[in-house]
Amino acid sequence: MSIFSKLKDQTKDKDSAEEHGKCMLSRRNFLMYGSASLAAASTVTVTLFPGTAQAEQMKARVVGYPRKLVAKLSEMKDHQPIAFNYPDDGPNSQAMIVKMAGVQAGGGVGAARDIVAFNYLCTHQGGPLVGSYKATGEHRTLGQCPLHLSTFDLRRHGIIVSGQAYQSLPQVLLEVDGDEVYAVGMMGLIFGRNSNMSS
Amino acid sequence: MSTDYYLPEDSAPLPPVHAEVMTTACDYCVVACGYKVYRWPVGSGDGGLQASQNAFGVDFPSSALQSWVAPAQHNIVMHKQMPHNVVIVPDKDTKYVNTNGDSSMRGGLIAQKCYNPKTPTRDRLTTPLMRIFGTLQPVSWEMALDVAAQVGRHVIENHGANAYGVKTFSYQYIENTYAVTKYALRHVNTANFTFHDTPSDVTSTPGFRDAGFDNFGPSYEDWGSADTLMICGTDPYETKTIIFTQHIMPAIYRGMKVIMLNPRETAGVAFVKKMGGLHIDLLPGTDNLVVGAITRHILEQGWEDTEWLKKWVNNKWESNSGFGQGTRNTPWQWRSTWGKFQTKGWEDYKKWVSSQPEFEAEYAAGVAGIDVAKIYQAAEWMAKPKADGGRVKTSIGIEKGFYWSNNTANTNAISSLATICGTGGRPGQVVGRFGGHQRGGQSGGSYPRNKSPEKVEGRRRRSLDTDRWTYSGHTRFAHVIGTTWIQSMCGSQGLQRKFTELVSNNPNQIMSYDRQEIIDSLKARADSGGMVVINQDIYLRDPIGARFADIVFPAATWGEEDFMRANGERRLRLYQKFYDAPGNAKPDWWIISQLAKQMGYDGFDWKNSNDVAEEASRFSRGSRKAFHMIKIAAHAEGKTLHEKLREFGTDGIQGPVFYNYETKELVGTKRLHDTELEHDKAAIKRLGLDNGPQGANIVSKKFSHFNSQTGKINIQKHPWGLFSDFWEWLSPKDDELWFNNGRINEIWQSGFDDVERRPYTRQRWPENWVEIHPDDAAKRGIESGDQVMMYSDRVVQVKDTVLGVDSGHFQFSELMKRGHIDLQKAAVTAIAIVTPAVKKGVLYANMIDMRQPSNALGARIVDNISGNYNFKMGVSKIKKLGASKYKSEFRSMSFAPRNIV
Repeated sequence: MSIFSKLKDQTKDKDSAEEHGKCMLSRRNFLMYGSASLAAASTVTVTLFPGTAQAEQMKARVVGYPRKLVAKLSEMKDHQPIAFNYPDDGPNSQAMIVKMAGVQAGGGVGAARDIVAFNYLCTHQGGPLVGSYKATGEHRTLGQCPLHLSTFDLRRHGIIVSGQAYQSLPQVLLEVDGDEVYAVGMMGLIFGRNSNMSS
Repeated sequence: MSTDYYLPEDSAPLPPVHAEVMTTACDYCVVACGYKVYRWPVGSGDGGLQASQNAFGVDFPSSALQSWVAPAQHNIVMHKQMPHNVVIVPDKDTKYVNTNGDSSMRGGLIAQKCYNPKTPTRDRLTTPLMRIFGTLQPVSWEMALDVAAQVGRHVIENHGANAYGVKTFSYQYIENTYAVTKYALRHVNTANFTFHDTPSDVTSTPGFRDAGFDNFGPSYEDWGSADTLMICGTDPYETKTIIFTQHIMPAIYRGMKVIMLNPRETAGVAFVKKMGGLHIDLLPGTDNLVVGAITRHILEQGWEDTEWLKKWVNNKWESNSGFGQGTRNTPWQWRSTWGKFQTKGWEDYKKWVSSQPEFEAEYAAGVAGIDVAKIYQAAEWMAKPKADGGRVKTSIGIEKGFYWSNNTANTNAISSLATICGTGGRPGQVVGRFGGHQRGGQSGGSYPRNKSPEKVEGRRRRSLDTDRWTYSGHTRFAHVIGTTWIQSMCGSQGLQRKFTELVSNNPNQIMSYDRQEIIDSLKARADSGGMVVINQDIYLRDPIGARFADIVFPAATWGEEDFMRANGERRLRLYQKFYDAPGNAKPDWWIISQLAKQMGYDGFDWKNSNDVAEEASRFSRGSRKAFHMIKIAAHAEGKTLHEKLREFGTDGIQGPVFYNYETKELVGTKRLHDTELEHDKAAIKRLGLDNGPQGANIVSKKFSHFNSQTGKINIQKHPWGLFSDFWEWLSPKDDELWFNNGRINEIWQSGFDDVERRPYTRQRWPENWVEIHPDDAAKRGIESGDQVMMYSDRVVQVKDTVLGVDSGHFQFSELMKRGHIDLQKAAVTAIAIVTPAVKKGVLYANMIDMRQPSNALGARIVDNISGNYNFKMGVSKIKKLGASKYKSEFRSMSFAPRNIV
């Protein structure tokens, strides 16, 4: 049984869990895709639904990407982004993790699935998005980028809301282990890199 | 076709040092950013991270504003039948347009445009097709061309040239448009001819033309050099992206004031407001009133530019004067319907505008649904002299939201406002269109107006309305080139029903593989009152190709042939061929030349696209993008026209192009109507014009003056009454809302192949959509993500080709009274986006979703003076059908408003 079908079997809440599953499908494809081009593989523990009845520990191959502690649930405050570097401390690795006050997001973790993390550089021409997190009604965005005004939707995997960028903001894949939130991978290429793992 | 299933990749190859580098420009919007194509054989090694190891000469990871390759900017194409990598990225070295390598999302993704069977481009047309037994089947070029020509000839001989209809793109490269117009206008000589965006071959901006303003006089940098910039009917951030980010945005930071007329608040409008600008959020179709009221207030305050008006506006005598046959033989006078627009000079205009009750500020503001203070504020910013008595420099740019909502009167009104402010023809004081598609038109023949059976009152014939002509069954052979025709015209569901009746439901269909029987059945279709359809395109479009075409010719396009084109500042570039066209696809000029030869026409023996360009060049003389002198220079240097233009790379050269025979230098024209150029002796000398034009150089009037009979501006009236009966009839009744539509940054002048074939674009905009104000939505129980139906039983449609005899016959109320108008029904569905960014009482929908074109709800009635559709004018009811999946899933679409700043 594949990870995805297992997930489906064990999820009840259509609106949330199936959605979460779809994100995980993307993530799994992403992980598998990575394996084709990068040789070094490591095995880590991925916790998909921590603290719920569906919680399950499983082994997944996370290829190339480090597992890095980026935040503690107990220390996160609504609408207060925390900066970190990922996947390394090289150029352009600036990223942010934020708890979006109970508004659920694609790829979100935590009980309300409202915790997401993204690279901080605009995927258009590398403008800094630091300080541009906004909550507008039910919407959660990063931007406008100071260079050319691109805005990204944090609820929808960093898709462009309006602007010039030609890919979504790279989303940092998260997992929760108890109180700890780990970055474990990334969807999308970081601006300025030709591969996320080369710097 | 693409799905909305987008999975971001996390690596992209860098071009190696040994990659070949070619220049081109983006295929999409009018701005036409410069791009570089890096090409290297698959398997020959990619570039490395160090500057010495890649073609950019940049260390990776690179920093902000440096070179970078996003995964979507890489593709694999066939070049000389061998697989090659291509990386297509904005040119960092270009001196103009997209300096710093800026780009929109459309251009940023353009590498994905290249044909690659592993991508959603796999459905490119690669072979001629013929509909046999109801199915499009591959046939040879010889067979397809022979059948088309034999049937085409038969139709012309038996039903007249006007039965041969040509509906074509106006922009897709100079070589192609030259070939198409030479064929259709000079040889077929049909009046049943028009371009993709209008039912008849008419100017888009009648007011500009009659005032003497060129649509594309200004340079891009002019848009950032005013004190006050008025922008009408567009948000350039959405649809002129790089003009906004490279010129307007920096100017706003420097203190330029911006006034925007737009019922909707998008990212650019929000930015302008944040920076202290003025958003005039008027109701659709009321621009004329607002502009007229601003003008009137300026005149009442005595803020007009008197010196300019005295020097540059035609007085009574000049207005009536003319050389030879004089003004009476100009479109201006013929269209003027005897005094409706013409004035005896600016003081006469002043008297008129001050006496029309509709231009009282309170009245105009009331109808437009805006705060009257905005009218006074705009007037002050545009014309109130500075404390030291100096004048503010005001520029005005317009686009489709403005001129597709009351075509003649709006463009008249803005021309007059510009003139009152001293705008037009000086640095920092320019007027023009921002533009839509790029400027690739070059006429190879003139429109046979006297063959048009359509006539307005008075004596003048008007270009034939091809939609109505077809609707009446007079088009027996429809030759459709690079346009959907049906979706792109108003009231499109009515037009589609007519096509079905004339083409599909006609009993004469091809039910044989025998060539003669095929030809006979198509001739029989035409003779029985039906219609035969041939279609040239790069993809099979539904329905024109997929359902209606009897013969489909596969076209080669951008990157597959060397082509020339100009952008919105008349900048000419060579768009280089860098890979093989798919299969048997051929450029449109080639298809036309082969068809023309089969038809028995001479003058189509071109060997390559440069031959076409070199033949076309002399016809460009005197036009805004005159490129003839590039050929003169090229030949002097033993080169071809294309070779010479290639040397200019992404910088290109602005038309009209002059050749200085002394210095052997080609010199472009920065702006048209450049009334101050005569004082710049150095520039004149550089152009080689110090002793007047030499050799083959031509100086046209619009170079340094305006495009009227005297070289001065015609200041014109803009009566609301020409349009008000339609506006009042159309205004929402009961539960209706205004139905406005337009485009968005992510899909702008790229919808013809981009939106359906870029997974990322598809993910962002997977379906038709409509914006609705929260108050209007709440009343109808609509939430973001709901699937809704927009529907109307008040889609007006002119039924037939009309002859105007008495004054006012083309007026809407008169057409209605005389029974020329049908009321039809139309409905389209969409995903609702509830947002305060659209004005209350107004819906704003995607302009053309190919599956469900919003134009179906647009009034199929043309501007009664110009003949253009007012695409932006419609009304609709809206109701919820249910929740869409986008309401509960996160992968695609976004409901976040575009005005978050």
